Amino acid sequence: MTALLALSLLAAACSSDKKTTTSSSSSGQGNSSGGGALATTAGFDGTTIKLGVITPQTGPVKLIGDPLTNGNRVWFDYVNKELGGIAGKYKVELEVVDSAYDATKGVQQYNAIKGDVVMFAQILGTPVVNAVLSQLKRDGLAGQPATLDSLWVREPNLVPIGTPYQIQAINSMSWYLGEPGNKDKKVCTAIQDDPYGKAGQSGIDFAAKEMGFTVATTAKFGATDTSFTAQVSQLKTAGCEVIFLVATPTTTGGLLGAAAAGGYAPQWIGQSPTFIGILTKSPLVDYLEKNYVVASEGVTWGDESVPGMKDLVARQKKYAADQAPDYYFVFGYNEARAVTQVLEKAVALGDLSHDGILKAITSLDKLTFDGLTGDYGYGPVTDRNPPRVNTIFKVDRNAPGGLAVLKAGIESDAAKKFTFAG
Amino acid sequence: MTTATPAQEGAGGIGSRTGIPTSSNRRRRLGRSSRNRAMVVRYQDDLRIFPSLPARVGLAALALFWAFGSQGLSSFWLNALTYAAIAAIAAIGLNLLTGYTGQVSLGHAFFLAVGAYATAHFGAEVGWSIFLWLPVAGVIGGVVGAIIGPFALRLRGNYLVIVTLGMLFLGEHIFKNWTDVTGGGNGISVAGALPTLDTSKFDFLGQRWDRNQGWFWLSWALVAVAALLAKNIVRTRPGRAMQAIRDRDLAAEVIGVSLTRYKIAAFAVSSAFAAVAGALYGSFQGFVQPSDFGLVLSIQYVAMIVIGGVGTIFGGILGAVVVGTLPFVIQELSSNYDLPLVSGDKGGLNGYIEIASLNKMLYGLLIVLFLIFEPHGLAAVWFRVKAWFRTWPFSY
Repeated sequence: MTALLALSLLAAACSSDKKTTTSSSSSGQGNSSGGGALATTAGFDGTTIKLGVITPQTGPVKLIGDPLTNGNRVWFDYVNKELGGIAGKYKVELEVVDSAYDATKGVQQYNAIKGDVVMFAQILGTPVVNAVLSQLKRDGLAGQPATLDSLWVREPNLVPIGTPYQIQAINSMSWYLGEPGNKDKKVCTAIQDDPYGKAGQSGIDFAAKEMGFTVATTAKFGATDTSFTAQVSQLKTAGCEVIFLVATPTTTGGLLGAAAAGGYAPQWIGQSPTFIGILTKSPLVDYLEKNYVVASEGVTWGDESVPGMKDLVARQKKYAADQAPDYYFVFGYNEARAVTQVLEKAVALGDLSHDGILKAITSLDKLTFDGLTGDYGYGPVTDRNPPRVNTIFKVDRNAPGGLAVLKAGIESDAAKKFTFAG
Repeated sequence: MTTATPAQEGAGGIGSRTGIPTSSNRRRRLGRSSRNRAMVVRYQDDLRIFPSLPARVGLAALALFWAFGSQGLSSFWLNALTYAAIAAIAAIGLNLLTGYTGQVSLGHAFFLAVGAYATAHFGAEVGWSIFLWLPVAGVIGGVVGAIIGPFALRLRGNYLVIVTLGMLFLGEHIFKNWTDVTGGGNGISVAGALPTLDTSKFDFLGQRWDRNQGWFWLSWALVAVAALLAKNIVRTRPGRAMQAIRDRDLAAEVIGVSLTRYKIAAFAVSSAFAAVAGALYGSFQGFVQPSDFGLVLSIQYVAMIVIGGVGTIFGGILGAVVVGTLPFVIQELSSNYDLPLVSGDKGGLNGYIEIASLNKMLYGLLIVLFLIFEPHGLAAVWFRVKAWFRTWPFSY
């Protein structure tokens, strides 16, 4: 044993020069390549910036992951090919790994690539972000959560964009109950039984207190459930007239399909990830058009009055021609825009290391999206101010992406009152 | 002390009762005498841990690779091999229970969970150091295992399997609902248990390492410790008692082996190994959730010892390396080449099988193929190759 130890010390001393190449790519501290150029660091070799993407490429939530990652790609293709890269010279490369929408798998993939990336351009799913977050903090890395939970607002290691789920829920209720004849409708919720479901539920609970209604019942289901008869009968028995739904597209289809089969037709208001365009191609489309709306943000796909949307459609046609109109694509495109703003800032500050990225995030004033989603106030983490505006979309099988605007620019008083913990 | 030669496994064989073949019934089936070890003529030889000079040289080479060669591995493979090492510790534990004592268990994942949650609590939450939480996780796992052990006194074979299966689901229920300790279904962070082992932050005389290097060193060093412990158990009195129980428990009791003592002890020791592995799994990964410790994980461990070799310490390690790195190999392959029918990360829309499903199918397929064609696992292949060389050029 002692011999072995002595040997290892000896060889450690001897082999010290051999190891520098591998360590520079995996450690936070790099060596300057000289000439005033940016120092190489983990995920940055002096010319190419590597970004991690943790997204479901398999399993039911792949329906969201694929268009979202496509949105990332189209934006970065545009940056690489038309702008010459970040700050005009550093090309961006994505390292995409599969989380299967499973927290543990997400963490494993995170651990596998964390040493090779400058930051994470996408971490999809509230349960996955929730699991990866403590590691991000420990390792001092930054990531963009592809989830709108308000929990992320005050996290220095995350770069959230968009109106948080809680605000979506509050704005939805204020819109619905404010419509004529809806004041005394019985409110219920149907939520995924995990942190994602809790995000929507906490928004509804806040709205209930502010607006003085009560939630009659809450039906819960698992992210990969396929049978929903119990939940439908629970909601039906409680006499729910409006149900706020927190699900992913596959479970939305299952749950609403079960309700339709049972002849139960309340008003469903879905949180933004409940919908996907392909639902309009399903037999459920009649039911959806009558009974379901979705709370999201921004404008209809292809609305050229908004400059950001006009560019987006042009770039999508150029770089991902077979991508159908899709709101997750818009989200992915927006998060890539946010990450680009962070990287530009970091380059301007002259430091692309993990620490440098965190510094760049706090030095940002705000993140802007040319009208695709609201401006997001940045700066020190306590000053972050997310947009609080939502749009209610109705399902329309003839509209691009399957959604048409029902009511835009909803920014309720209750939503303004909501404070973000942390 | 019993005088039976441990080199020869008993005549009964657990195969008749548990379906897991041993060398003895395999020998019968193949109708020839293919012993897996060199002939042992002295009792002292049988007690030796490192039997021959080539074995010692081989182990020294492995140790050298562990210390220096591994530094040339990429972060990806260090990560994969660390998971394999953690799996190896648990597989050694399961081999003690199933391979040596003949008690087939599908509850191994439950004991890993016990260790992982013990670490989440004592390591990450309370803030103990690894020198405390690692042994404590092992002790807790051992105690829980000893509680389950008595079931094995009354039940055998399939019935015991069903009890251990039940324990797995009982455990899942507890882990989902004991939210203070386990974080419930959302999972819990274990990242705080061992934050200092990030070797990329070390600087030793200008020497720098990959961030997974430290974990690789720690986990494989612990595999060596675990293997040594297990080897010591099986080559001495308790080991022979365990093997006697495996081969025919009634006969073992008749010659004076205490079934109560050794069956419970086997469960306790095996569970302690699993809990230590679980503790390492949790702290390496930094996060655990109840669904990690389901039936699939238990089946993976059975696959490891079947593929590696039932009833050898070495086989458990071999099986853990094969089964543990298999998902990483497939992931690497599918990201570099477009594997037919498999949806990889190249957009993956044309695939029919997801990588995760493919892995599960491969575990099943490998178990079936090994049970049919090589019931004693990779270890047997290894022993045969060794025997061929030892007797060369007269290897007939």
